[in-house]
Amino acid sequence: MSREAMIECEGLTKRFGHFTAVDHVSFKIEKGSIFGFLGPNGSGKSTVIRLLCGLLQASDGRARIAGLDVARELEQIKALIGYMSQKFSLYDELTTHENLNFYGRLYGLRGGALKQRYDQLIALTHLAPYLRRRAGLLSGGWRQRLAMACALMHHPTVLFLDEPTAGIDPVARRELWDLLFEFSGAGMTLFVTTHYMDEAERCTHVGYIYMSKLVVCGEPDDLKQLPLVNPPDARRIDVTCEHVTVGLQALRRLPGVRTATVFGQSMHLLADKDVSEEFIRAKLAQAGIPHADIRPMAPSLEDVFVALTQQRDNGGDT
Amino acid sequence: MRLPFRGFNAILYKEFLVVFRDPLTLFFMFFPPLIQLIAFGFALDTDVKHVATLVLDEDRTNESRELIDQFINTQTFRRVGEARSITGLAEAIRRGQAYVGLQIPPGFARDLQAGRTARIQVLIDGSNSTIASSSLNTALNVGFRNAMLRLAARTGLHDLPVEVRPQILYNPEMRSPNFFVPGVIGLVLQIATMFASAMALVRERERGTLEQLLVSPLSRWGLMAGKLVPYLCISLLMAVSLIVIMQWVFHVPVAGDSRALLLATVLYIFALLSLGLLISTHAQNQIQALQMCMIFILPSVFFSGFIFPRETMPWIFYAIGTVLPATYYIELQRAIVLRGASVADFWLNFVVLAGMGLAVFSLCALRFKQKLA
Repeated sequence: MSREAMIECEGLTKRFGHFTAVDHVSFKIEKGSIFGFLGPNGSGKSTVIRLLCGLLQASDGRARIAGLDVARELEQIKALIGYMSQKFSLYDELTTHENLNFYGRLYGLRGGALKQRYDQLIALTHLAPYLRRRAGLLSGGWRQRLAMACALMHHPTVLFLDEPTAGIDPVARRELWDLLFEFSGAGMTLFVTTHYMDEAERCTHVGYIYMSKLVVCGEPDDLKQLPLVNPPDARRIDVTCEHVTVGLQALRRLPGVRTATVFGQSMHLLADKDVSEEFIRAKLAQAGIPHADIRPMAPSLEDVFVALTQQRDNGGDT
Repeated sequence: MRLPFRGFNAILYKEFLVVFRDPLTLFFMFFPPLIQLIAFGFALDTDVKHVATLVLDEDRTNESRELIDQFINTQTFRRVGEARSITGLAEAIRRGQAYVGLQIPPGFARDLQAGRTARIQVLIDGSNSTIASSSLNTALNVGFRNAMLRLAARTGLHDLPVEVRPQILYNPEMRSPNFFVPGVIGLVLQIATMFASAMALVRERERGTLEQLLVSPLSRWGLMAGKLVPYLCISLLMAVSLIVIMQWVFHVPVAGDSRALLLATVLYIFALLSLGLLISTHAQNQIQALQMCMIFILPSVFFSGFIFPRETMPWIFYAIGTVLPATYYIELQRAIVLRGASVADFWLNFVVLAGMGLAVFSLCALRFKQKLA
């Protein structure tokens, strides 16, 4: 049933002095997966990527990529992995063409092989109109494409992307994800950190790191089935109405309503099973909202992460 | 299989592009050394000539006028005026109107004729030691020679019993540029090359591109060599232009083999760039790198023998000079440019420079951590 594991770590730990940035993180990512790695700022996402790429030495635990040990067989691993850092590390003085050439040569590509891969990636990323432009003068979306093309020059089988969509417009974001699905279809394993829940929903697998610890890891659908997220004596309700902020104030105070959050034009409630639709409707009417559309709903990934984070903060254990 | 210089080609390709894309860096490499050479070359002139001199002739005889002429004829003194009194003379020196005051008291000629010791007084401004010591020597010499000639005449001799005929080798006119300009080249080369290579890795660290290099199969030796070679080429070009300026602007001819000079320059630049790289691997940001460079550059101005001879220094300063590449290069410059020395004459200096370069470069590659923390 389980396919070949491309990225594995066991008890991976990184301490900087007295601060533990990554605390005994273990997971396994299969070949061809798109692994979404989520967590608040400073929770240890980038540190995990850097540990897996061999940029940082683990204080404890171990990591393997394509069956090779990161601590001992890093040189072989380097040829297999691509890394796109948070800052899209490009040489601003060099043109698109020169950046691609440089990264190709860095990985030992030359002559025909270099040219072929170069053409392939230009076609894939549509960078052709910008070949002579300096990287420093490209806009965010194009910089990101170029950085990705650079990271892909040497045909990596595992690609690490550290917040690839931060500060990128929605169109570029969607196009990037289309590319990622294409790569994944071709057998590449992708490890992506992000802040966006909609991106997390697209991943085949997700992990959530909070305060240096991996809180949960698995397929999005499985995570939504977790008992913690779906308490047996409660249900999730979507309430769509006018003046949601007013409605929120009214519903939050109701006995039996455990959490209430606004989502655009609607509110998501986690309420005890015995809180009826009529009861909610009546309370909204009292608050001056006569009409409301009330439906049961499935939990989102965000609900999963919120539930898990709250449980951690309350000192519980998974 | 691991190639020791893997990735060298790629880094070389990139570094050359980056250097020529960034005119500001190139400008800061080339321009200050040129200006420094010209400024230092003209300003560092220790030839003491035509020192402003006030005369107080209270004797007003042929003998006194003859003595004054002897002073002026040395070219060391330049008569800028007359003083009325000895206090006026001292006052003028205090105000900086003259460095030297020459007083010939009344009765100078009379004492001479009577065979008594005729006294004259020379006031010298001691606040500038170079001018003071040179003026003192010349004044004593003039007096001494004058006295000897009179003694000789009295005993019926026509010539002095001993005559010293000094011959200044290699720099017959004792021109300061000949002494200083070769040394200045050593100093200004140091500033430009060290700053350039000290920035090389720090900039990548600051921009985050270093991470990208570290995840690649690039080897440490490949990275270091790829960073060093472009700067070696540029620095060499700069060194050659400095030497050309030395010959054409300061008229200091290269007496020795120019290939020996070139070899010395290549070794020196290699050592300096390696030092810069070493700084670059340890500094966290550009400011830190600059400060670390200054730690090397400042002592070399004083302890390399550039201005003060090393032999007379306290042992600690002598020891500092021993570990500075500039010490060996400045010595070589003067030996080759002025004295026409060959590689064989100064082989030790060549070996030391080459050894320093190789040792520091190896240290860079071996100690460079391919990790972020």
